Amino acid sequence: MSDVVGGGAPRVGGLDRVTGRQAYVADIPVEDVLHVKLVTLPVARARIGRIDDTAACAIPGVRIVMSAKDLPDPMPRFGPQRRDRPVIAIGETKYHGDPVAAVAAETKDAAEEGARLVRVDYEELPAAHTLATALAHDAALVQDPSLRPDDPHAGTNVLHEHRHSWGDIDSATADVVVEGTYQFPMVTQFAIEPHAFMAAPDGDGIAVWSAIQHPNWLQRVIAELLRLPLAKVRIHAPDPGGAFGGKQHAKYEPLLAFMALATGRPVRLVLTLEETFQAVRRGAAQVHVRTGFQRDGTLVFRDVEANYQIGAYADIADRTVAKGSYTSMGPYRTPSVRIVARSVLSHTVPSTAFRGFGNPQQIWAVESNMNEAARVLDIDPLELRLKNLARPGDEFIPGDTPADGDWAVAVRRAAAMIDWGTPPPAGRGRGIAVGLKSGPTTGLSYSTVRLLVDGSVVVYAGTSDMGQGARTIFAQIAADELGAPLEWVTVVSGDTAVVPYDQQTSASRSSVFMGTAVQRACRDIQAKVRSMAATLEGVDEGDVTVERGRVRIGQQVMDIPDVVKRGLGRLGGEIIGIGEMRKEAEPDHTLGGTAAFYEFNCTAVEVEVDRETGDISIPRYVTVSDVGRALNPLQVRGQDEGAAVMGLGHTLMEHYIWDDAGRIRNLGAIDYRIPTSMDLPASMESDIVENGDGPGPYGSKGMSEGALLPVSPAVAAAVTDATGAVIRDLPRSPERVWQPLHERGASEASR
Amino acid sequence: MTTRIDLTVNGRARSVDVEPHHTLLEMLRDDLGLTGTKECCLVGECGACTVIVDGQSVDSCLVLGVEAAGAAVTTVEGLAVGDRLDPLQEAFLETGAAQCGFCIPGQLISARALLDELPHPTRTEIEEGLAGNLCRCAGYEQIMEAVELAASRGRGAEAAPHHAVSGGVDVASTPDARVAPQ
Amino acid sequence: MRAFAYERPDRLADALGFLASGDGSARPLAGGTDLIIRLRDGTLQPRTVVDVKGIAEFSRDIRVEDGWLQIGARTTMTDLLRDERIRRDYTALAEAAAYVGSVQIRNRATLVGNICNASPAADTAPALLVHGARVVAVGQAGRRTIPLEDFFVKSGVTTLQPGELVEAIEMPLAVGRRSSVHARRTRRRGHDLASVTLAVAIGTDGITRLSYGSVGPRPVVVDDESGLLSDPSASEASRRERLDAMFVDAAPSPTSMRASPEYRLAMLRVMGLRAVAAAHERLAS
Repeated sequence: MSDVVGGGAPRVGGLDRVTGRQAYVADIPVEDVLHVKLVTLPVARARIGRIDDTAACAIPGVRIVMSAKDLPDPMPRFGPQRRDRPVIAIGETKYHGDPVAAVAAETKDAAEEGARLVRVDYEELPAAHTLATALAHDAALVQDPSLRPDDPHAGTNVLHEHRHSWGDIDSATADVVVEGTYQFPMVTQFAIEPHAFMAAPDGDGIAVWSAIQHPNWLQRVIAELLRLPLAKVRIHAPDPGGAFGGKQHAKYEPLLAFMALATGRPVRLVLTLEETFQAVRRGAAQVHVRTGFQRDGTLVFRDVEANYQIGAYADIADRTVAKGSYTSMGPYRTPSVRIVARSVLSHTVPSTAFRGFGNPQQIWAVESNMNEAARVLDIDPLELRLKNLARPGDEFIPGDTPADGDWAVAVRRAAAMIDWGTPPPAGRGRGIAVGLKSGPTTGLSYSTVRLLVDGSVVVYAGTSDMGQGARTIFAQIAADELGAPLEWVTVVSGDTAVVPYDQQTSASRSSVFMGTAVQRACRDIQAKVRSMAATLEGVDEGDVTVERGRVRIGQQVMDIPDVVKRGLGRLGGEIIGIGEMRKEAEPDHTLGGTAAFYEFNCTAVEVEVDRETGDISIPRYVTVSDVGRALNPLQVRGQDEGAAVMGLGHTLMEHYIWDDAGRIRNLGAIDYRIPTSMDLPASMESDIVENGDGPGPYGSKGMSEGALLPVSPAVAAAVTDATGAVIRDLPRSPERVWQPLHERGASEASR
Repeated sequence: MTTRIDLTVNGRARSVDVEPHHTLLEMLRDDLGLTGTKECCLVGECGACTVIVDGQSVDSCLVLGVEAAGAAVTTVEGLAVGDRLDPLQEAFLETGAAQCGFCIPGQLISARALLDELPHPTRTEIEEGLAGNLCRCAGYEQIMEAVELAASRGRGAEAAPHHAVSGGVDVASTPDARVAPQ
Repeated sequence: MRAFAYERPDRLADALGFLASGDGSARPLAGGTDLIIRLRDGTLQPRTVVDVKGIAEFSRDIRVEDGWLQIGARTTMTDLLRDERIRRDYTALAEAAAYVGSVQIRNRATLVGNICNASPAADTAPALLVHGARVVAVGQAGRRTIPLEDFFVKSGVTTLQPGELVEAIEMPLAVGRRSSVHARRTRRRGHDLASVTLAVAIGTDGITRLSYGSVGPRPVVVDDESGLLSDPSASEASRRERLDAMFVDAAPSPTSMRASPEYRLAMLRVMGLRAVAAAHERLAS
């Protein structure tokens, strides 16, 4: 590889980020903009009665109060999986924070005052806000059964039951069966940029601004709801200030679009952090795991039954359940597997994509189960994993992509880095766990690349640059392929009127999918340069090779820009390349497609537990990801370490707390805790395995989620190693760690 | 009813008509168009809105605009002098500390205030000094390294003072002047 | 945030006038780190906010007056942390101040404000209580001092009269050798509201003062005059027994989000023992 790809290229957009010039949605100056404030009820579920906006409309500056009656009848609905989400609540609120009206005003003050003065008559209704209440036989139903014709689960809150199995679990005989039920908490993305949306009439169409990960998907949603051609819907998607999956799909953009059209003015809604807690979250889960082993540790079967608590609307949550549960056997060769996973609707915030996409929940369960099994079998947890780990090329999931990495390398590396096999210092314990995630199952990315006459390059790529550094990667690829200095490459994204189609920014796909599209666009240019050079030099095209910025004819070597300058001649101009990367759906596959790649990570930790208080400290933390090839090691490290710390959040401190009526008690940053700089492991080491065995440019794989996957089971195993206490609930607050130690201490004292 | 106040923002004298119930954060963003300072939690937990007022870092969401009358305020826009970046900005770029970037203005301001007080902080002092600035990309390791890197290089003798220009007197160069004027 | 009028009087008399006039909703503003949160969430809706930072009579100093160490109404947590005397003679208070919020909060939040908000979780309250603090209140009727243990009533309520301001908090100057320790429980290492706060002060006079908060509507202060806790050679078992008796007034809320009553009570015991041991270590060094 050249020194550009694989080197420490500075972040594209970095300068704007350190100078405060990076404009997020809330920062974009717009003339004449109206400010929007949502009206919500202080209850989870309620029948909405009369909405009286008289007092609100009397506030100077209030321009419109929009509620269901102001929207088309029937209420337009949208959603990436099911069109079940109304533009604004109609008839009934489904969760605490479900907006019933929205006020647009000339000033933020007037909008807030107006929102306070909208009087809503309502009758509180029983809410099913826990898994238990949602699954009860007399549960309050979240979705009207009449909306689910021909659905066997229509009379229940089960939105979908996913089943996946192979082998014969019922006749499988195991020497040892290890069984447990594990809880994963309800947590929220907590991007530091609260979600922000704008919409404005735009000629005979509409423009929408959103920190959205999938601008083209949003474009389709808006076009459909407003009955406009796609070409009349322009989505501006500025870099999100953190997204983590929470900004994949439309939330309040449709509402804003209707308000913009109703007022004929630009409208802007910037959520408070509290409102983002009421807009996006991860599905909670209860996962029951039974795993059978031979006495020597060989896996015989795995039986998983998972209930994921999704929210009031499907959003993309049911897909997270399908895809997250699908890999519940982990990266192991397992002869018999049975997975049942249910998406359970509840009167809570709609859950959606969140880094790991349904996997951290089941990995918490199955890897904890592996660690418990190691104790039962009296086999080292490292050895138990190495024994069962799929080897490169193993078809460890029948009918899916064979193992695409030498995963044992990552596992052994992590073990060595934490000094596995040597006794930990007194009072400390060690734990290890692995995480596997199926990458994208389908995908489509286009890129256009323009090589300008002076050799500089413009890359068009519709990936959302939400912190992972996508544009930097594309700039590196283009610079490398076309021989331009990195600082001569501009990457344009975030505007559907300018940038070609990209399916989505998710599943750690962009380096592989859009990266390949960019690379192909560059190679399209190389082909044109080849033909140009052949003409200029009067040789056959076959005698010309173009690669990595160089043109070769026999012994003669020229830089691409020199050829292009001559070739373009007096009129100048440019060379335009087009690239496409496509992975078609496979209708017969359970997930609709095989994995483009797998993300694999091994995490090993050393913890120290204060047995009297339950405090956990982490003196050493090791995370090793198999990335195929690090196109930008600095960014790879940022992704891995960031994912690790984010995983420590749901492992140690994060969770929604609800009252009995289904209201969120810990809205906002005071009582929903995420890790600070003081909550880091004392030592964090990240490393990568680079075997060049990925499908992306130069052998790369996607990698932004892997390091989050095994955090919880690794930490939990270390706590168990240090104390003997087995805990199957998250987060492991000091109190949760203290509880069993205290009880054990008490019972030992009484003996 | 707005109140006219005079203050210094990033070394420049400004007069602002501000509503008494608007915070310094709102005043900077909405009245002065300085959108580099970010809004997130509004309860003083996340630090995205951190600015320096008279030599001390504060959460601008918990300060009223009118309270800044007569003060010297430094925002992220005031860290660089012309096109010369603050050593912290350089270091943040070098270590890859800025991912999505939303928390970075606050991180930089807190780091600037820290280094002004402790030019050579320990790792623990950096972690404590920046604990009021949440980063959900959780690039904390690279942020901490950036602060260490900037500290190791020092401020540079030629670097111009960035803040604490109060009442026309430059007090930034004397260490004792960090405490806000009474 | 709802609109209000803002006053920044230079003179105490004017400030008291603003507070006394109108509908009685006027609120004093010092650091603002609690007040502005409540103005925004609407739990407070004053017509007027009176900024006390301009009052000439209100000090930001920490100074000795008539055998008392006086901390002015404008003194911030950061000021406390930087004061050598506080760190040396009132260590628990310096430790408590260091736990209040983040640097940004400590640069703004005042000690007086922390006390006037009367949060049961206020970090500085137990530390001040073990150091025998009193409050200097001033109103249109004049000045009075209130022992801190008589100041707190319940969450958000004090014995301050309407229209009164707290001008200073005073602690008696140290007599003899003494060491104090502050301890707290939180959900993470970074700044957090405490689920238990505790302070202990051990003097060479044989009296040990213990205070704990966040486990009831108001912080509790209790003395051990038996000499047991101040005895460096006392056994852990005897200390445990003595402390248990001193924790009888702990009544943690069963509905708290931060920790269960069972855990809070257990942590009081753990922290109490550790704090006493730490105080002895400090005294010995």
